[in-house]
Amino acid sequence: MKSCKDVSYQLSTGDLAHTSLVERIGVWLHLAMCRNCRAFSRQLGAMARAARGAASATEAEPRESFEREIVERLRQR
Amino acid sequence: MGFSATEADDLSQEVFVTFLETLDRFEGRSSVSTWLFGILHHKVQERRRVVVRDQRADPIDEIFEASFDAHGSWTKPPIAADRLAASRQVSAALAECLDGLPDQQRAVFHFREVEGLSTAEVGELVGCTTNHVGVLFHRARTRLRGCLEGKGWGASR
Repeated sequence: MKSCKDVSYQLSTGDLAHTSLVERIGVWLHLAMCRNCRAFSRQLGAMARAARGAASATEAEPRESFEREIVERLRQR
Repeated sequence: MGFSATEADDLSQEVFVTFLETLDRFEGRSSVSTWLFGILHHKVQERRRVVVRDQRADPIDEIFEASFDAHGSWTKPPIAADRLAASRQVSAALAECLDGLPDQQRAVFHFREVEGLSTAEVGELVGCTTNHVGVLFHRARTRLRGCLEGKGWGASR
């Protein structure tokens, strides 16, 4: 039986998809029985959503002169 | 990535200039966005004069270890994040926390969570093994959880 530490580490590295079926079943069984690790898993999901939210909040179209300045830099090289 | 708006603007121009200059070397084996992110990562490293090291030890590992008892059970159980809490406020707090991450961990977190790149793609971009990408991703997430908890998010029981 996997421990909470093993399961949270495996979830946290984001590599579960690349582990063996036996490993994945071990994690799923643990998650089915452990609300703390389910909470941890949901925290990871919430952080991912927040990160995408933070990234989209800072997305902006480049300035009007952006392309012209790139062309100018290329000319100067 | 921790740069001012002017620096970020200058960096993004540099990325496109390098992209156009090296276009003949682009073989189409990865997507254009992966190629662009690769250039961006190298430019950021150049600018910060960061020597990429395969960092074996990180103090955050001890903090992770301390979250469990000798049997590997949580000593400080996490609280399920409220879906509603993943709002603008949490995003703003996370953006602040991201600034406190070491460069490589911030890059790995961004590439994995925001850009949705695979571990292998991220490994190529930051120049480390897929195993180490997993370690860096884990460390970034552990640091971010700690930082967010410090800001009152998902406070432990």
